Amino acid sequence: MLFFTIRRILASVLVLLVSSFLVFALCAASFDPLSNYYNLNPRPPQAFFDNLREQLGLNDNFFVRYWNWLSGALTGDFGTTVNGTPVADQLGTRLMVTGRMIVAAVIIAVILAIVIGVIGAVRQYKASDYVFTFIAYLLIALPVFWFAALLKEFVAGGINDLLGSQVLYTIGEETPGLSLYASGWELWSDRLGHLVLPTISLALLSFAAWSRFQRAAMLDVLGSDYMRLARAKGLTYRRTVLKHGLRNALIPLTTVVALGIGTLFGGAIITETVFVWHGMGEYLIQDGIRNNDTNVVLGWLLVSAAFVVVFNLVADLLYAVLDPRIRLS
Amino acid sequence: MKLSKRTAMLVATGVTGAMVLSACGGDSDSGGGESASGEGRVVFGEATDWPENLFPLISAGNATSTADIEAELLPQAYEIQPDFTVQWNDEFLTEEPTSEVVGDSQTVTYKINPDAVWSDGTPITADDFEFSWRMQRSSDPAAGGCPALLSTSGYDQMTAVEGADEGKTVTVTYSPPFADWQSSFAGNNSPVFPAHLMDKDTPEALCESISTGWPIADGLPGDISGGPWQLKKENINVGQQIVVLTPNENYWGEKPQLAQLVIQGIGNDPTTAVQGLSSGELNVIYPQPQLDLVDQVQGLEPNVTSEINFGLSFEHLDFNTTDPILSDVNVRKAFALALNRQEIVDQTVGQFSSDAQVLNNHIWKNNQPEYQDNAPAEYNAPDPEGAKALLQQSGWTPGPDGIFTKGGQRLSIRVDTTANNPLRQTTIEVMIPQLAAAGIEATFNANPDIFAGPDKPTSLIAGGFQAALFAWVGNPFVSSQPPIYQQVVGDAVGQNYSRIGTPEIDALFDQLMVTPEREQQVAITNQIDSLLWEQMGTLPLYQKPTFIAYTSNIEGVEDNPTQAGPLWNASTWTVQ
Repeated sequence: MLFFTIRRILASVLVLLVSSFLVFALCAASFDPLSNYYNLNPRPPQAFFDNLREQLGLNDNFFVRYWNWLSGALTGDFGTTVNGTPVADQLGTRLMVTGRMIVAAVIIAVILAIVIGVIGAVRQYKASDYVFTFIAYLLIALPVFWFAALLKEFVAGGINDLLGSQVLYTIGEETPGLSLYASGWELWSDRLGHLVLPTISLALLSFAAWSRFQRAAMLDVLGSDYMRLARAKGLTYRRTVLKHGLRNALIPLTTVVALGIGTLFGGAIITETVFVWHGMGEYLIQDGIRNNDTNVVLGWLLVSAAFVVVFNLVADLLYAVLDPRIRLS
Repeated sequence: MKLSKRTAMLVATGVTGAMVLSACGGDSDSGGGESASGEGRVVFGEATDWPENLFPLISAGNATSTADIEAELLPQAYEIQPDFTVQWNDEFLTEEPTSEVVGDSQTVTYKINPDAVWSDGTPITADDFEFSWRMQRSSDPAAGGCPALLSTSGYDQMTAVEGADEGKTVTVTYSPPFADWQSSFAGNNSPVFPAHLMDKDTPEALCESISTGWPIADGLPGDISGGPWQLKKENINVGQQIVVLTPNENYWGEKPQLAQLVIQGIGNDPTTAVQGLSSGELNVIYPQPQLDLVDQVQGLEPNVTSEINFGLSFEHLDFNTTDPILSDVNVRKAFALALNRQEIVDQTVGQFSSDAQVLNNHIWKNNQPEYQDNAPAEYNAPDPEGAKALLQQSGWTPGPDGIFTKGGQRLSIRVDTTANNPLRQTTIEVMIPQLAAAGIEATFNANPDIFAGPDKPTSLIAGGFQAALFAWVGNPFVSSQPPIYQQVVGDAVGQNYSRIGTPEIDALFDQLMVTPEREQQVAITNQIDSLLWEQMGTLPLYQKPTFIAYTSNIEGVEDNPTQAGPLWNASTWTVQ
């Protein structure tokens, strides 16, 4: 298992290296961080442009620029944004924001997916299965931005009107400036009130697809010989389903969820934008691509790719735990 | 399936634990607290990019959001009013500054309020004016300047800044005179800076500190303020993009009526802004107007009040006169004659407000007091026949499909504009059939490199375009105009992307730049404008609208559709 892990990590490093080079090449070819200033009226003096080019290292050769970035990144220095802020600092903050947003959502989504998936399989073609199937497909089909807007308009609006006070919030992580004068329960409940909608939004949308995987896997397992054998040996139905069925049926879901979590860390771009959480997704789009900022894009790439790689590895390791027949070597 | 009690408990603990963990993980900013003066709080939703740096003189601090935060933070001698006039700041100064031109030099005298102090108690004096000048007078390191500066305009013409009366009288000498002397030490992008906190012993050290600026995480040096509001470092939350302005306890003038002015970065998603306004999480928004956004906000009346105004930024067409087709003035004039600019306005900004008008001046906007309609009468209504006659004069003949040709070349013009801008796209789409009626073929081209540098061949600077539709952001001053219209000398295109001009226009601009009196400026600019219509290198179209919306419990909100921005008078707002 140890060798397997090491080999996988080494392979991943190579993947990261190649992808960072390709993305760097794309950025270098298409980004012009100076373009924000040519059209200022009056235009800044030529000395300003020369200075900025020098400062951003745009005068260097392509390979020198990549090497400068790479050697920095290897020592944990991801360079600075075009506006001079260290990218590493921003990545840390952004990652925490995204992390806070997705942790609860992923846990809820996984539990819901397993429960609903198993119920759907065990009670296949019963009324409950049809209802859950309908809901799942509905959620898969809904565009994220629209679903989130509906949540804000009707769930937040409805509950707030019902309770006669603002309990659910639609913008940001906390009421701005609240932490300046509030503490303890007031602050916590406020943060919880801000967390509910993005959590529901992410959880329901992720759960929908995952529950279908779980249902399919469960159906597959339920029809297998060893299940019948377990029943024949006199085990209760409940025990066979939970011990023998569910454990085996979790393997496919593990892959999907692990990949999903890894991707979510790269940013649930739309959810972040709609609920105004300044996380990783917004960082890539606004600060990176819109600002023509190569270092931001590369920093984002490295961190989110690392998460995908790590969670993939976790999935592989979990296989071995769930299915003792699998030996990683 | 029924969960066992133990499993259910585990699940419940896990979920609550996760939610609590996520809820308490935020940066917990302590300190601050409610201020003694002022009552209530107002949250402004900032739709533009959140600033990384608060120092307005450098590229990193060159953001609308920085200007909004600093609208009333540092002392400004003059303030731009919502009606586009420029007024002296009667709290900072005791009397209107005087300007006197003698021979080749101009003397401006400011009288600082004797009570005016920085928030740390240090008096605001001529030293601060002198320092602000020294910091911005040059971008050449060899001359003690700093290349990180975005602009040295005006400050580079000052020859001396001297103090008298214990530093409360400031005399600024310009040589030659400076037309926009009122823009010096004024505006949120060029206020008076605190010498006692920022000055350095050598120009090199000063330049280094200018280049670093004020990273937002560190706030302003010494949390300094010289205006009604103060921004304390502890009130900045970088991760959540929130700053909280509180009243400056040492402000000598009228103190803010509010206890807190919160500025929160909310991104440019219009639905988010409207829903935040309707849920009461935001009090004031200032988004880019879009039709459905305006409709939604108007649906929230009477709880929300909104207003459309026309600001100083304006859309126009630039013709590239080095293009083989457009080098002929008859073709450019035919293009302009064929257009129905009233219809263009009706189909675009006219949808927002019935006040939208066709812009008929290159330098002044319709609602500026200096505005005068200088457009030759023939451009007031579309005249496809006149356009055809002009084309025929130049040897163009109508082809089988009605489009003119000359020597096998089709009269086809590509109109470039920025990518992803629905307003500009509509503008060009309305133009295309109008032009076709006059035998001119036009095509729409979204050009992502339009504002890029000279190394991108299709940028405006590189000249790889035929016609281009984009906006200039105007201001009440004149010195930003010459680079757009003066002739190109050598490789220095400046911002004259049409690459046209005459010695006569150049001379008038040169005269304008050393004319400090407003009436004379207006006379010269109108002369220039008439000449610009004749050469038809640029065709103005319309002013762009601004949109402000606020919850109706706030009193005193007034849009300032200039660079002063929506928060220009936030210190006078009250909330019920």
